[in-house]
Amino acid sequence: MAKIILENIAHTYEPNASNPIFALKEMSLSWADGGRYALLGPSGCGKTTMLNIMSGLVNPSHGKVFFDEREVTSMITEERNIAQVFQFPVIYGTMTVFENLAFPLKCRQFPEDQIERKVKEVAEILNLQDYLNNRAKGLTADQKQLISLGRGLVREDVAAILMDEPLTVIDPDLKFRLRRKLKEINDKYKTTLIYVTHDQNEAMTFADNIIVMDQGEVVQAGSPKDLFERPQTTFVGYFIGSPAMNLYECSASSKNEISIGSNSFKVQANINNYNSENLKLGIRSEYITVENEHTDNSLEADVIEVEDFGNYKLVTASFDSFRIKAKVKRELDIPSEKVILKLPAEHCCIYEDNKLI
Amino acid sequence: MNFKHKYVFLLPGLIVLIGILIFPIIFTVRLSLSGWNSFNPGLDFIGLKNYIRLFTDDPRFWQSFFRLSFLAITTVFLQYIIGFALAHMVWKDIKFKRFFRVLFLIPMMTTPVIMTVIWRTFFHESLGPLNDFLSIFGVQPPWLSSPGLAKVSIIVVEVWQWTSFMFLLMLAGLLSLPKEPFLAAAVDGASPFKKFIYVTFPLMAPISIGAIIIRLIEASKIMDTVFVLTSGGPGTSTETSSFFIFIKGLREFQMGYAATASFTYLIIMIISLTIIVKVLTKVLMRE
Repeated sequence: MAKIILENIAHTYEPNASNPIFALKEMSLSWADGGRYALLGPSGCGKTTMLNIMSGLVNPSHGKVFFDEREVTSMITEERNIAQVFQFPVIYGTMTVFENLAFPLKCRQFPEDQIERKVKEVAEILNLQDYLNNRAKGLTADQKQLISLGRGLVREDVAAILMDEPLTVIDPDLKFRLRRKLKEINDKYKTTLIYVTHDQNEAMTFADNIIVMDQGEVVQAGSPKDLFERPQTTFVGYFIGSPAMNLYECSASSKNEISIGSNSFKVQANINNYNSENLKLGIRSEYITVENEHTDNSLEADVIEVEDFGNYKLVTASFDSFRIKAKVKRELDIPSEKVILKLPAEHCCIYEDNKLI
Repeated sequence: MNFKHKYVFLLPGLIVLIGILIFPIIFTVRLSLSGWNSFNPGLDFIGLKNYIRLFTDDPRFWQSFFRLSFLAITTVFLQYIIGFALAHMVWKDIKFKRFFRVLFLIPMMTTPVIMTVIWRTFFHESLGPLNDFLSIFGVQPPWLSSPGLAKVSIIVVEVWQWTSFMFLLMLAGLLSLPKEPFLAAAVDGASPFKKFIYVTFPLMAPISIGAIIIRLIEASKIMDTVFVLTSGGPGTSTETSSFFIFIKGLREFQMGYAATASFTYLIIMIISLTIIVKVLTKVLMRE
């Protein structure tokens, strides 16, 4: 296991072009030993490129990769001692489950007794012990993916296990169990796990640290709570959370007050440049409350739709020319025409040029 | 829709199918039960006499069949090994990859009969360039007049002519393989040899089976190479089933007997190819 450091890393797939497009723009990042990370972002944002740079499957156009103090930038995958699980299960179809799990150790010429002990141990963790003598080809997609994962786990000394959307082919119930298993593995072995996904729920429930990427850049790194409560950019606010964050163009009337259309709201942010024309207010639908009468920071809106999701209601309403969504308790009675909604100042995020003030 | 209309629409296709496939087979079966020859041309009925003659009194047919089996299996095996190796070579990023890809396809673009004439000249014992070169070392092998070497010559020509086809199929297969298994093998620390054995070869098994079967079907009809290169000689040492049938039917005009040999050969080929497909699936795909 090792601390992974990416120093001024950037990558383009067209190095000879006069004006190359960078799949990964220059950045520096470090991954703590034993951490549980998720790389989150829409398709094509550079997540897989970053993963492949760490595993050595892609050589970065710029920058250096370090495992602890050792520079590994020019090392091939085999020498980096990394494990990687791909989106689709990769198994050696001609081998048994045991042989599959033993393969990375055999390639590294481990003694037979050690191979057998380690394979049995990993098979037990992954509930594959009853299938060890079965041909891997005949197993289900999720069992095959467990084998892929197991080949990473049999090696005790791996710097990290990199997973590229590994649960795509798995059905939802099993996804939940596998994520829990991955967490258990991380707790038990303290292996650094880096999990690439475009599914925010997967990232939020799996990782301690989430790195959100967009268009080849890291837009925010932090805990699920940070990402949810204080999104650093409007992209993160929009990308994380369901429904997405309510975002409105606004103007500042003072350091702590903004206006959206005919409504004014107090905020806790200090808007120094309040003449800026590029201000936005963002608020999560979870923090909007329904009030019986006007209070501070409230507005009156026309109810468009109330959807009952079982454990909560989603109120969609409009004020001026804007739409607003509020997640409220299921038992709450929502008026059919007009509703008073409160936007608590402590949960209002103000963005200038799409960046949090 | 009226049920009968379906058959009306099927009719053109069915007529063509009956005309080009079913009628010739049925006619061959009927012909095989007749004694049609140059003295007695006509569809008389002699029962199973031709079949009894073929199975009890004609070792030449069976010899030609086993010779054909040997030639077909040997040539296809060599074509597979060489074709796969060449495809594997130009699949990787090597210098002049495109040039080699075209170069290896050239034999397939040539006309087999013409190329065989050139090969016959090449193997010619007194005038051919091969023996001219070998005479430097004091040897002048009788390439086309020794039974063993004549077979070798046929194998060389067939392998040269058809390895391109195998190369093309194998290269198409290699180019269509997913890249993840190779990346996973690299992560697992597999050597290039292990990658080939555990990743490339198993992934290529279905394509290999298809390619081998296509070539075996083609190779079991070896005729033009034998005809031009050795004419079945010396003696009957390079005579194959199709050449035997050609001799019986179109040289000796024993049409009834040639039809018997043809039909028997067809049945044997259907059975053997079915068995070969099963065996190959079991061996290559380990099912």
